[in-house]
Amino acid sequence: MIELFTTAEKHLRKRHRSEWRFRWLGRLAILFSLGFLLIMLVSITSLGKGALSRAEIALEVDLSGAETLEDVNPKKSVRTALFATFPEVTDRSERRDLLGLLSADSSYELVRQIKNNPALLGETPTLWFTASDNIDLYTKGEVDISLPEDRRRLKDNTVGWVQTLESRDALRKVFNTAFFTSGDSREPELAGIFSALVGSILSLTVCFALSFPLGIMAALYLEEFSSKSRWSDFIEVNINNLAAVPSIVFGLLGMAIFLNTFGLPRSSPLVGGMVLALMTLPTIIIASRAALRSVPPSIREAALGVGATRVQTTFHHVLPLAMPGMLTGAIVGMARALGETAPLIMIGMVAFIVDVPKGLTDAATSLPVQIFLWADSSERAFLEKTAAAIMVLLALLVVMNIVAIVLRKKFEHRY
Amino acid sequence: MIKDPIITARDVNVFYGDKLALNGINLDVPRHKVTSLIGPSGCGKSTFLRSINRMNDLVDICRVEGDIEIEGKNIYDKDVDVVALRAHVGMVFQKPNPFPKSIFENVIYGPKIHGMVKSKTDAEEIVETSLRRAGLWKEVADRLQEPGTSLSGGQQQRLCIARAIAVKPSIILMDEPASALDPIATAVIEELIDELREKYTIIIVTHSMQQAARVSQRTAFFHMGDLVEAGPTKELFTTPKDERTQNYISGRIG
Repeated sequence: MIELFTTAEKHLRKRHRSEWRFRWLGRLAILFSLGFLLIMLVSITSLGKGALSRAEIALEVDLSGAETLEDVNPKKSVRTALFATFPEVTDRSERRDLLGLLSADSSYELVRQIKNNPALLGETPTLWFTASDNIDLYTKGEVDISLPEDRRRLKDNTVGWVQTLESRDALRKVFNTAFFTSGDSREPELAGIFSALVGSILSLTVCFALSFPLGIMAALYLEEFSSKSRWSDFIEVNINNLAAVPSIVFGLLGMAIFLNTFGLPRSSPLVGGMVLALMTLPTIIIASRAALRSVPPSIREAALGVGATRVQTTFHHVLPLAMPGMLTGAIVGMARALGETAPLIMIGMVAFIVDVPKGLTDAATSLPVQIFLWADSSERAFLEKTAAAIMVLLALLVVMNIVAIVLRKKFEHRY
Repeated sequence: MIKDPIITARDVNVFYGDKLALNGINLDVPRHKVTSLIGPSGCGKSTFLRSINRMNDLVDICRVEGDIEIEGKNIYDKDVDVVALRAHVGMVFQKPNPFPKSIFENVIYGPKIHGMVKSKTDAEEIVETSLRRAGLWKEVADRLQEPGTSLSGGQQQRLCIARAIAVKPSIILMDEPASALDPIATAVIEELIDELREKYTIIIVTHSMQQAARVSQRTAFFHMGDLVEAGPTKELFTTPKDERTQNYISGRIG
């Protein structure tokens, strides 16, 4: 009896140990993934926060001779103002270096400021202009001036000018609103995420509007109405396989069908959304079918038992109960679509798009494609833009998830 | 067999795929009486019950042969509308299955889809009479907007009965309506069944022979797809004609 008791205890201890081991392995796994998530977030934010500010240089622009905007030669005015700030620079090549202080867009900035405030005409106001990307990097401490001159981005003369500007309080750091309001640009200091963001939102809207109703209808038919046959098994297998097809294949299909056969506009959010919808459909159908299957059959019996037709049963009772699950499936699909680059490259949404798209048929790009383009860029200053764009992408993802959670809660409340 | 039956089943065979689940059933069901179907698990009593309102149609592989006539009309005729049939033949299931909606909505759903509700007062009246008949009115009168699922098991089952009678059926099928309930709730349901007999014809499937003896006037005993014996409940339990019935009611099989 006692022997039996001790062997059992031995055995029991072993079982307890294995349970303890399993628990700790699970906790470690969670800790690891949280750790990596944290590392990713920290590295992206520390890189990307630089893109939220930019350097500006103050110049005294002589507009005294101008009565209307037409009288102003913006390019020349900015140049003259810059040369006047550093009168000691006379050498032609040095003057060219001096022009490198300012962003290529400075003449437009002057025009914009005059338009916003016509009272500037006839005066000699001090105006702020966006500094070039290298100056911007320097103010953020990204340029190591202890390196020999030929191995860094700023020459000694430029460093000297920047220091002069700093000492005159003619160099400041401001919040980079342009990043959130303008489109892409060749100049990193002018490049913004807005056009890509709008492109992504438009594409996703098209994608959702197509794939959600289609996916739900397909799932409803397959799950609630069609009878089980070899034919429905065949469809089911194919849908499951489609969910695993590489996304670039859908891009090829979109290119062949939507662009070449239907002649829809290239690079447009409309076609992008359609391609993403093709890609998202299987995911939504599979999730919706699972949601429908989880509705207890007793609810269907109850409705049919009081004489409801199948359509009434489905739409009055089954669909509302399955809706939260369907929404979850949809959001998983949409999140995947949001991060998709490959199919969009195939239909031309990879183009360099400066303008913010105004409609579904305008040329547009999308957030992940923009990230890809910037990451691929040789300009050092695009690095922080890339990280900032990733932050915007993640933020959009979070917003989408919150919307989904709110919607789900709303449906669940209808007990 | 009996005078003026409301349901007559003639040579009913039911197949699930190739498997024969019911074998040549002939049964008359008397009007305004409670008929209970008893027998061991898998004997086909639920299958027979579900053939009466064609719930079996939902099972793809299920096939019914023979005639089931209600008021002289074969319900498996081509011109029979299943939706109208199910309004005429209500059903209460084994597990209480109220809709996840309010008590009011639960009762009024059937009348609504059948176009029996013209105004708000109509609806209120139907809900009140149905709940009264199901013996639930007093308990829920002041909380009709609460979810039906918040009621206790026995109350939920009476709500399901109210939902079934709201569409004014003449026959109510009950598939082990008390098997998921405690003894007190069961007693309430049994009492209710006895009252409902006045207005409706009731067919009840039950596992409990005591229940069959308490609530029904006629009993049919099924065994392995055969209808072994049917007759007045008292007779069947006291002087069974068939040996299998004898064995079942004495507890030797089942």
